[in-house]
Amino acid sequence: MLKLFLWLRYLRKKKIVFLSIAAVAVSVSLLVVVASLFTGFINAFERAAVEAIGDVVLYPPMRFAEYPLLIERLEQTETVEAATAMTLVPGLLHLGAGTGNVRPVEIWGIEPGRRAKVTGFKRFLLEQKDAPGEPTFDTPGAGEKTAGFVGIGVLGEPDEKTDEYDPAIAEEMIGTQVVLTTGTASQTEQGDAARPQFNRRVVPFTIADILHTGVHQFDEGCVYLPIEKLNRTLYPDDESPTAGQILIKLAGETETDVALAVIGGIWRSFVQDQLESDPYLLQYTKIDTAKELQRPYVAAYRKQMGILLLIFGVVSIGVILLIFCIFYMIVRLKQKDIAIIKSCGATSRSVAFVFVGFGACVGAAGSGVGAVLGYVITKNVNTIEDWIRVIFGLKLWRSSVYFFTKIPNEMDWLWTGRIVFLAIIAAAIGTLIPAIVAALTKPVETLRYE
Amino acid sequence: MYKIIIPTRYLVKRRITYFAVMAVALCVFIVLVVMTVMTGLVTDFKQKNHRFAGDCVVGTKSLVGFAYYEDFVQWLEGADFVEGVSPVIKSPALIRRRSSERNSRVEIMGVDPVRHSRATGFGDTLYYHKDDVSKAFRPAYDPNLPGCILGIDLELQRGARSTYAYQASPAQVGYSISCLPLTAKGALAQAGTDVIDTKTFHYSDNSHSGLPRVDGSIVYVPFEQAQQLCMAGSEKRASAIHIRFQPDITPEEGCRRVAALWQRFRREKAGAALAYLLENVTVQSWKGYRRESIAPMEQEQTVMGVMFGLVAITTVFIVLVVFYMIISHKSKDIGILKSIGVSDFDVIELFSGFAFLVGILGSSIGLSAGWVFLVKINRIEDWLFERFGFQLWDRTIYAIGDIPNRVEPEVLVAIFLSAVAACLAGALLPSWQAARQRPAETLQVNQL
Repeated sequence: MLKLFLWLRYLRKKKIVFLSIAAVAVSVSLLVVVASLFTGFINAFERAAVEAIGDVVLYPPMRFAEYPLLIERLEQTETVEAATAMTLVPGLLHLGAGTGNVRPVEIWGIEPGRRAKVTGFKRFLLEQKDAPGEPTFDTPGAGEKTAGFVGIGVLGEPDEKTDEYDPAIAEEMIGTQVVLTTGTASQTEQGDAARPQFNRRVVPFTIADILHTGVHQFDEGCVYLPIEKLNRTLYPDDESPTAGQILIKLAGETETDVALAVIGGIWRSFVQDQLESDPYLLQYTKIDTAKELQRPYVAAYRKQMGILLLIFGVVSIGVILLIFCIFYMIVRLKQKDIAIIKSCGATSRSVAFVFVGFGACVGAAGSGVGAVLGYVITKNVNTIEDWIRVIFGLKLWRSSVYFFTKIPNEMDWLWTGRIVFLAIIAAAIGTLIPAIVAALTKPVETLRYE
Repeated sequence: MYKIIIPTRYLVKRRITYFAVMAVALCVFIVLVVMTVMTGLVTDFKQKNHRFAGDCVVGTKSLVGFAYYEDFVQWLEGADFVEGVSPVIKSPALIRRRSSERNSRVEIMGVDPVRHSRATGFGDTLYYHKDDVSKAFRPAYDPNLPGCILGIDLELQRGARSTYAYQASPAQVGYSISCLPLTAKGALAQAGTDVIDTKTFHYSDNSHSGLPRVDGSIVYVPFEQAQQLCMAGSEKRASAIHIRFQPDITPEEGCRRVAALWQRFRREKAGAALAYLLENVTVQSWKGYRRESIAPMEQEQTVMGVMFGLVAITTVFIVLVVFYMIISHKSKDIGILKSIGVSDFDVIELFSGFAFLVGILGSSIGLSAGWVFLVKINRIEDWLFERFGFQLWDRTIYAIGDIPNRVEPEVLVAIFLSAVAACLAGALLPSWQAARQRPAETLQVNQL
């Protein structure tokens, strides 16, 4: 009770204590914001990969035939919820005669219905996201014409100031015919004199829908065509459908290791049964989770986050010094109070605890305020960034630099907990020496009349 | 004299002052290290961009390019402020290694290596032909074959120490490069035919500009060949002209003169058949040309500076608290000084001098420690990498060589002055309170 009374009294009488609370709050909020933004970015990075390519990717060193059979076998297992095939080739997109507007793109041959089951594909389509049923390339009145989807950034640049695309302008392009040029290589002769020949393939297609994933790489450079049409164009001599990769969505609670083992087993038996045990396919096919593919980058981002937190953590040592100075001052000014308490029978330990406990309370209050402040900043970081742009004309976040159109604003509660805990400990450490000085106070000397 | 003796005495005798000095030193140390590394990275990145682009670029974003470039090149070569001029062709392309089935997206850049090296730092980025750039497109294994220079990351893998495993001579590899030739109207040339304009080039050298997006996507081919591949039609066109100015001409001044020259050139060509292609041509300094790459780094540097500024406020508070404490304990000293005629302003000056001492001492310690740390930072990182496999930046992902550790005098002076200013700001309020103390009150018998 006495301790609480003294804490409240010091808090009321010594307004400078609020300064230490403010300092703790500023440091904690800064660290919370840094940790949350980094973690949010890393999570968004991993999520973007899963949304783009599913949970697991099977990518052989070359395209293979009879993929519908492989998908069927995969989907018969309990580990796989859905699977889809895709072909990936580079190409050049000509957006209209007379404009000279040619863009290098990645052409993804896909099965839109299946893909929507494996990835978050459908919700990124501007026209079909709210439509019932599976997404489709079929457009009313298109007939036999080829239709495709394009990334929103393929059609135009984002606004210079806001870095946002105008969906209305992009939607105007729906129904427009564009021309895609790609090709395959072939050998003109056999043996040493073999010369590569690039066979140009031109695919005119109608834009059926537009994808806005929020991930710069996909928005800016991807074109999606029906896999059968693309393969027929690229490889007209193929007798059966071929695919370059298989994307897989795992069933609910499946463990990754188990799933990889099952998928590996099915792939091997498929190659043995259908592809004449092609040793090249057996040996060099990779089966990885989407997260595993991102691992080197995620590790680098985590390291950057650790280093930044360390730097700001070291700078925050200044806060410990500040708390030390404030408490030392209180102890020096309140020596008579301490001496009276001790003369009433309080032990040195309990006197020390008055100050250490008070320090911890300052740390708790400061870090509580800091955590709330950090939460508010993190959740509103996009608004803050927008205000900085409006007031100072400084566009801090661009999707072309940081991948995403919006700053990921998730709170990292684990790191917040760690930071709050460390702040309380640090505040208590800051009061340690003043507490010892207080505990060593001798009432006889301090309360002497002369 | 007392204005020197008293602060010095407080500094030595009042141990609490050490904490203020320590706080200042700590803050200065961190700010120096972080800002030096950050400034070094930004400066290095800017230099690489400057080296890549030259001083000025006259060009268009349209893949159609612009005509009459040869005439303008002549104008530029006749100007006394221009040292080097290099027209270039730029276009997206598909590239395929001869032994591979896979195509990749790249950007081809058609250059004349000698001219381009005169206008930019291109020659210095080469590995095998650094000393004789005129032979850059001649593969060592057969000089008669058409050569190409690959951005280094297209050919070699960057190692953990940001190094590449170069071979004694370039590997004998052919690359087939396919482009979309566009007419001056922007239409696809040869539409309807089955064979695209494809040509096989042979790896003759690699270019290491130090810019990841450049080194991972650009393939340099001879100017004329690129023109054939990308620009259909009888009228020759180019995508851009890179320019280097004489050493005594600043890029800003040079760009201003080039812009004026370009306006005159456009007026002269106003009646020409392809004059419309000149409308979208811009004159940009190297900074403007590479703005999309440079601006984010500069912004990050600014944000870092602001964040450290926020954290450094703590140091101001520490100084404030320490001074508040000292002044509250030294009210008798202040009373005596004022009773012998020292003015309020002198008291403020006295404590400001003390704050100045704290600032100088703290920032000197911080700067010295920071300097020593920076000098050894690469050795420390090497040691950490050898022992624990730890690197500040994973060099296989980030195109960074050594950690920049060159302390810029401006950064040093700015940090030093900021630290001293922070101390003076922190001491201002306590000093003001000290100055307002009345000797008649502080020297009362019951206060002694």
